[in-house]
Amino acid sequence: MMDDFEKQIQQALSRKDPSPFFEARVLAAAKRDARARRANWQMWWASAVAASLLIVTGSAWQYEKGVRERAAGEQAKARLELALKVTSVKLQKISQKVEHIQN
Amino acid sequence: MKYAIPVLFLALPLAAQEIKMPPGLDKLAAKASEVVDVSLDGALLQLASRFLSDKDPDEAHVKQLVGGLKGVYVKSFEFDEANQYSQTEIDEFRAQFRPPLWSRIVGARSKKNGENSEVYLKTENNQITGLAVIAAEAKELTIVNIVGFIRPEDLRDLGGHMGIPKIDVGGAKKGHDKKDKEDDK
Repeated sequence: MMDDFEKQIQQALSRKDPSPFFEARVLAAAKRDARARRANWQMWWASAVAASLLIVTGSAWQYEKGVRERAAGEQAKARLELALKVTSVKLQKISQKVEHIQN
Repeated sequence: MKYAIPVLFLALPLAAQEIKMPPGLDKLAAKASEVVDVSLDGALLQLASRFLSDKDPDEAHVKQLVGGLKGVYVKSFEFDEANQYSQTEIDEFRAQFRPPLWSRIVGARSKKNGENSEVYLKTENNQITGLAVIAAEAKELTIVNIVGFIRPEDLRDLGGHMGIPKIDVGGAKKGHDKKDKEDDK
């Protein structure tokens, strides 16, 4: 009974050769881990670059829009001033004419 | 009575119709030595208004004036020679100012030099909602259509401000009485 138990212990603790391709599997797993870590970093960098590009493009578009809006506004203002100038001068001349006729 | 409702439906779009610039006016640009053609609808007026300063008293005044406007349309032509435009364009424009909405507040005509000046006002619910000016001279034609709440004296009094020349009217009255004079001298 005791001999059986000792045999079992000896068998369990005895040196065993690893299964075939064990080393290759361990190395492959390590490589996989390294690749996954690298992929994570690459993903992080790509996201950071994409976010920066988005911010830069968005800011540039906003600035461009502001510049375009400002130019359109200034042009509209100049046209309005011109229209008011023509109208005011004409109304003043008409007033002058009416005054002249009345006198 | 049975025709009243269809007539009313026909009349409603006509009453709401905007004043149109005669298309023939565009051809005058080719003959004119100087052309001013300004077309500002409500959206452009709002945009222009945003660029008028509240701090500058002149610009603030114009901003207030423009606040009630829905459209400003001005066409002005100066010619080197006389009689470059036909009366048809003016008649076409004038024909749109029909009572009861529109009334002529000034009509001054000079047979001597062929000048013709007219000012029309559109009134709705006792409020001025439109202004039109026809100023026809031998070598100059100006047509103005302003849509929205406006007082002619406000525009006239812009003279001397914002680079607009002030013409000595010779003690012209501030208020506008109905004037319709013809100078046949």
